[in-house]
Formats: sequence, C-alpha cells, structure tokens
Amino acid sequence: MLMTKEQYIESLRKMKTRVYMFGEQVENWVDHPIIRPSIDCVGMTYELASDPEYADLMTAKSSLTGETINRFTHLHQSSEDLIKKVKMLRLLGQKTASCFQRCVGMDAFNAVFSTTYEMDKKHGTKYHENFKNFLKMVQEKDYVVDGAMTDPKGDRGLAPSAQRDADLFMHIVERREDGIVVRGAKAHQTGTINSHWHIIMPTQAMREADADYAVSFATPTDAEGIYMIYGRQSCDTRKLEDGADVDLGNAKFGGQEALVVFDNVFIPNEYVFMAGEYDFANMMVERFAGYHRQSYGGCKVGVGDVLIGAAALAAEYNGAQKASHIKDKLIEMIHLNETLYCCGIACSAEGQETEAGNYQIDLLLANVCKQNVTRFPYDITRLAEDIAGGLMVTMPAESDFNSDLKVGRNGETVGEICNKYFAAAPSCTTEERMRILRFIENMCLGSSAVGYRTESLHGAGSPQAQRIMIARQGNLEGKKALAKNIAGIK
Amino acid sequence: MKCGVRFCGGCNPRFERGAVFRKFQKEIPSIDFSHAVEGERYDILLVIGGCTACCASYGQFDVTGGVYKIWDEAQIEKVKEELLNI
Repeated sequence: MLMTKEQYIESLRKMKTRVYMFGEQVENWVDHPIIRPSIDCVGMTYELASDPEYADLMTAKSSLTGETINRFTHLHQSSEDLIKKVKMLRLLGQKTASCFQRCVGMDAFNAVFSTTYEMDKKHGTKYHENFKNFLKMVQEKDYVVDGAMTDPKGDRGLAPSAQRDADLFMHIVERREDGIVVRGAKAHQTGTINSHWHIIMPTQAMREADADYAVSFATPTDAEGIYMIYGRQSCDTRKLEDGADVDLGNAKFGGQEALVVFDNVFIPNEYVFMAGEYDFANMMVERFAGYHRQSYGGCKVGVGDVLIGAAALAAEYNGAQKASHIKDKLIEMIHLNETLYCCGIACSAEGQETEAGNYQIDLLLANVCKQNVTRFPYDITRLAEDIAGGLMVTMPAESDFNSDLKVGRNGETVGEICNKYFAAAPSCTTEERMRILRFIENMCLGSSAVGYRTESLHGAGSPQAQRIMIARQGNLEGKKALAKNIAGIK
Repeated sequence: MKCGVRFCGGCNPRFERGAVFRKFQKEIPSIDFSHAVEGERYDILLVIGGCTACCASYGQFDVTGGVYKIWDEAQIEKVKEELLNI
C-alpha cells in the first residue's frame, strides 16, 4: 500500500535511529533544521506517487504481488521499466534540485535479486527466497531502503583480510544457527537516516581469504548496534541561522550522507543474502554499480534542468539575456545535460533480462553514462557561475538586506543601501535577484553541490572505476578486426 | 459520457498537462472527465503526454470507445473539437 508523504514522516518518528552530529546525539532528528530538508526531499517520492499527473512514472505493478507499488521498490520487468526509472529520476531532480536518496535502494533490490538467484543455483543456498520475502514486505509497506555498498576500505593497497583493522571492511564476526553477527561500517551513505531499512552489499570483488567480508543482508535502520555520524556539507550551518530563507538557496530540499557504524549487529538468517560466497561478490558489485550509474543519467539531468533554468533567470535579472554569448552558454548547458539523458535512456533501451527475470541495463553504456556525469555537471556549474556573475559569492547576507540599521548620511539603512546597489533589471526585485543567485550558489558550491558536483564525480564509483568497466566491455579486439578487414590485413 | 484521463509521468513536459485536463473539464461539460483508474469502465480515454514520446501506459484501463492522445500544445484544440463532436 502506498504511503503518503505525511505517513512517511510520521513513520520515521517511530524509529529509534541513533544519529550523531557535531559530537552530540540528535534526539529529534526528524525536525532538525539540517536534516529535515533531506527528509522532505525523500517525501517528494511519496507525494508524486499519489498524484495522477506523475503516477505513470512513479508507480508500477509489482512482479511479486501484482499490487500497485512505488516504482522505487520495483524490480524492472522490461527495457521500458528501465527507461521509466530514468525518467522518474529526472522528474524528481526537477522537483527537488537535490539528491532525493531513494534510488540507491531500488538499485540494490535489482542487483541483489538477480545475484542471489544465480548464487543459489551454484551453491544451493536459499538467499533468493529470503530476498523475495524481504522485498514483498518492503513493497507492501512502501519503505525507504538504503543500499549500502561503500566500506571505508582503509589502506587501498591491501585486501580486506590484510587490513590492520579488520573493521575497515564490513565482515562477519560470528556465525550462529539463527543468523550472523556483523561488524564494520559503510561510508558516504546517502539518505541513510531517512531509510526504514538497509541492504548491505560487499564493496568490491573478494577472494577466498576474504570470505567473511563477502556479506549481504537487510536490517532495520534502528537495529541494536547501528548508529550514524552525520556528514557535513558546505554551508550547512546556514540552516541553523534564525529565520534563514534566502541565504539557504534551497530552503525546501537537500541531500544527506552519513557514516553508518555496525557495532556487532545480529542479522537473522531470513535477512541474509550472502554469507561467504566470495565468488559472487563481484557480480553483486558490478550489477549494483551498473544500475546506479544508469541512475545518474536521470537524477543529475533533472537537477541540471533546474540549474539551467536558474542561470537563464539570472541572465534575465541581470539584463543580459539578449547577449549572444549568454544564449550560447545556455545552449551549451542544455546540450551537455541532454547528452547525459541520452546515455541514461540508451543504457536502459539496450537492457536485457537476467536469469532471475528482472532487467538490467547495458553495462558498457551505463558506465559511459556515468563517466560523462563525472565531467558535465562541472562544466554546467562553471557556465552557470559564468552567467550568474561574481555577486553570487560576494553578496551581503539576507539579514543585511533586511537591516534597519541607519548608516547613510541621509539616514539610509543597510537594507536600503543593499537594495539600492544590488538592484538590476526592472523585471525583478532585488530580493528575487538575490534568491536566484543564492540558489545557484547552493547548487554550485553550497550544500547541494555535494549531490550535484562531488557525488557526480565519486558517487556510484569514481571515474577510474568506469574506465575499468569500459575497458572490459569495450570489445577492442572486435574493433581491431573491423579495421583489419577493411584495410586488407589478415 | 465517461472519459478516463491518463497522464504520462511528466519527466520533461513541453506544456502544462494538468491545464489541458482542467480546460476540457470546463469547456466540454457534456463529458465526465476523471483520472483513469483500473477496474472502472470508460467510454473513451484521453492520454495526455508532455512530449512526442507520449509514453503513458494505458493498456490496463477498460475502455469501450476510442483513445484520444495529446502530446503537443498544437493538438489541444483539434482534440477538443473531436470530443465535442462525439
């Protein structure tokens, strides 16, 4: 049954999730001004699902139960489903201008579903049934699930089992008859606090010596032994300022990342999806990464749409919209943004059925998609900053614009002086101009830049990870054969 | 006459899809427009897509008559005329 946004937020209040920020425990994290915009951002995935104007993208028919579910809990049944996923992510990027955090769970569902099927076939395990039962519950309750892959990894030159501190990779510390006990952490976890459950996956390919690190499972976010240490974002404490609005850039929505610690957490057998089958760690990693690299061809495009719109407004407010170089820069931004979308759609259209029956994207095209995402948002933000002008980062505070403090010879206030000198085209008020510039600042180098810039670079794998996959999937030998054939080389 | 209305998901619409729905409700009072739901029977179906892909799914709805599609602002008046002449 689909939850409403309000029901989602109330469901979070009932959880006992342990959250720490600035060295202290946050008791009421649902209403914390730094955290709440990220909750409202996830809330949009519920709000749009119940709106008929968006339901075609936001909902799907469950392949497990036949019921209507939120698409974020769906197993892709066709290339059309993969395409609709990308479109849904673009839509949400447009509506929030932020990372809405829920795609990572959807990508985990699809990767774990197909991997457990093939694992069971080889090893005679029962993980696939475990996973299906878990996913049925998630679909029925309409839960947010965080897909957690990235371990802290310690010394990158050493295997998990060779680290000086075993906890730098998530691992099994005890095997019981009724389940396993795990220890370790997951870093950079997007939306972790806003999730009802977590799916844990191994972070990389594993060898026999690392069998205890080849572990996948689901757990409630507030299970005994789990806690989160909140990640800082650029300009985050602006959200703590009294009455902050314009200076926030985006007062409504935001992203969220945290370090999630698993301090000897018990996982019952029914929620275990891998426990030592190291030969399948790589499959799970590659499939999850593939789906997540596809995701970026949707979500970042939606955020890019908003940034392009903001840049165009800034040009209008500056009175520069007719300048040919401004028009050309906006065209370039659109070109870059739509190129990302093309990649997201292409890797979806070329999707294929897995042995388990769900669909996965074309891995080569998904990696090309993400490789472009590591670059183009940087170009787009550069152009947005170019169009916006330096005022974006030198403008006085909102409180200055509102100040009644008399400073001028004729009794002018600080507010009057700011409004006088920062007025521009008559099509906007000074406040509107300030709002759009702060909005651009937020996306280019404020708290939303975490999602739009650095997450574009490192999220779903850093650029080199995609290049490795492109090398593997690129069929260079086939291309050499083509050249030899036409050139007459035997 | 009962007309189910199905929207595409609205990922990048070129016009305001909801406005078309409201316009038809106002300007074609002879037809009872409502958001299409499964299990209901409709005389006709109106599919409003935001771009040329017009990718809304609608095979799941029970429709006895025709399916009318709009994916461009320029088609709005033409489809309105067709609906008025049913």
